[in-house]
Amino acid sequence: MNRILNLVAIEARIELRERYALSGIVLYVLSSSFIVFSIWKQLPAKEWGLTFWVIFLFCSLMAVVKTFGRENEGRYFYYYTLYHPLELFMAKVMYNLLLLLFIFLTLWFVLYVMAGNHIIRMGWFLTTGLMASLGLSFLLTLITSIAIKTQQNASLTAVMALPLMIPLLINILRLTAYASGTTPDENPWNEMMMLSSIISLVIGMSLWLFPYLWRS
Amino acid sequence: MQEPTIHLSFRLAAWKWATMGILIAVFIAGWIVPLKSGIIKVTPDKAAAGEMLVVDVTGYNSSFLTDTSLLRAWLRLSGDTVIMATRIQVTGDRNLSARFYIPSVFPIRQEAYPLTLVLDHSQDGTSVLPNAIFITPALAQDTSELKLWFKDKIESVHEKAGIQYPFRNILAETIRNTYFHVPMWFAMIILFGVSAWYSLKYYQQGLIDFDRKSIAFIKVGLIFGLLGLVTGMLWAKYTWNAYWSWDVKQNMSAIALLIYAALMVMRSSVEDDMQKARLTAGYNMFAFVLLIPLLFIIPRMTDSLHPGNGGNPALGGEDLDNTMRMVFYPAVIGFIMLGLWMSQLVYRTDKLKGNQ
Repeated sequence: MNRILNLVAIEARIELRERYALSGIVLYVLSSSFIVFSIWKQLPAKEWGLTFWVIFLFCSLMAVVKTFGRENEGRYFYYYTLYHPLELFMAKVMYNLLLLLFIFLTLWFVLYVMAGNHIIRMGWFLTTGLMASLGLSFLLTLITSIAIKTQQNASLTAVMALPLMIPLLINILRLTAYASGTTPDENPWNEMMMLSSIISLVIGMSLWLFPYLWRS
Repeated sequence: MQEPTIHLSFRLAAWKWATMGILIAVFIAGWIVPLKSGIIKVTPDKAAAGEMLVVDVTGYNSSFLTDTSLLRAWLRLSGDTVIMATRIQVTGDRNLSARFYIPSVFPIRQEAYPLTLVLDHSQDGTSVLPNAIFITPALAQDTSELKLWFKDKIESVHEKAGIQYPFRNILAETIRNTYFHVPMWFAMIILFGVSAWYSLKYYQQGLIDFDRKSIAFIKVGLIFGLLGLVTGMLWAKYTWNAYWSWDVKQNMSAIALLIYAALMVMRSSVEDDMQKARLTAGYNMFAFVLLIPLLFIIPRMTDSLHPGNGGNPALGGEDLDNTMRMVFYPAVIGFIMLGLWMSQLVYRTDKLKGNQ
């Protein structure tokens, strides 16, 4: 565990040393929100939730694409002798999870300031955000680890990850609709169970497959 | 040394002829067997209670002109609450006009009363059109007319003889698509499953042959999925009135195809063969596991127009009667066998190309 946290710390230090990294994400969130606003003009509760997750998805894709691109290959070879692939994977996942949570909170703040708050059940929305970040960080880390081995890294990440995200996204949207009170559904536990079972599928599969995919 | 290739190609040939035989039978039976007779149109579709009503009925596959004396018609409110036609005038094999007296009072009280038209003919059998006519309540109500509703019963109805597919409202002739649209998806999911199985084999043993096999099954599975989507869209044009209505079932199956298309794109952008095979195996297993909630769980949780969702009947119940089963099951088996056979051929040609 300590070794994993160590890797996360290295990761964060590399990222923070380059100042454009985090500020780039914030700017991405801001500019995409502005584009959405200049199209919509105003955001009712239902569209608020949809807009939120669309921006979130593309921001997370943008932020996660360079997961394995930050260090050169020699470094990975060196890591490979030091760490078990799962340790490396967990470190990357934890770092991405922090990034996604950062995006989630930033985006929430931006939309809160710009379009007002449409979330009635704060706890539910926060849980949804946590679950979404957890599931997506595992999924996106696995997909980027595949995509980095190909020639077109960035576009392939999007092409492979977007369709796979949809089962997660559908449940997330339903939970958001519940959190903002735009659905007559009064029992969100079904969706929550569904979401957590898909996420555990994703986690299980990615933990199983990553050591295999990474070995090259 | 043994010669396994001769044995194998003999098996493949036997497989091919069995598939061809089943599919030819399915195509002939699926296209040629006629539908039972039914009712397409009723005019007028609105009327007021307490008046004489003459409705013009347009039949389908019907032969009203033969044996006109045994032709009977009812308007049914519910169960045995029916009124019988007082006079039926046949104007052609497919056209007749029936005269009803709609009582001014109803046993139940509603804003409007949807009535079902039931037609019985000694040769065509029974035809039913639900919600054929909507009756608005009468201004002056005469309670003594209430007993008119219970005077007649629908009894001693006829069955049409011979082998026919059922006539379903709205579906009509497109019911034959059951034999082509549904088996495509069965075949696709089985091909993808076999492909994931070979990916697992590759994961365990690392033989490049397993990768060739798994990719051959994906290629053919994609074709079947695409055909399933196209046949579904054509069907949707006739029954839902649009090729694409953003129904959850349509979306999810399109996304499933996108996932596998992404896999093909990913493969084409990797140079090294072993690398390619490993990435394919990993992504393929990952995708297949996520395909299960995508295709089987999420559509069942959402409202959908598609049969099998949101209370719509599917393969069970009265939609698939025994005559249709006799064609449907061979169709499923035939198309799955066709898919497996095609994948074998694709695998073999890929292997020959790889050896050159």
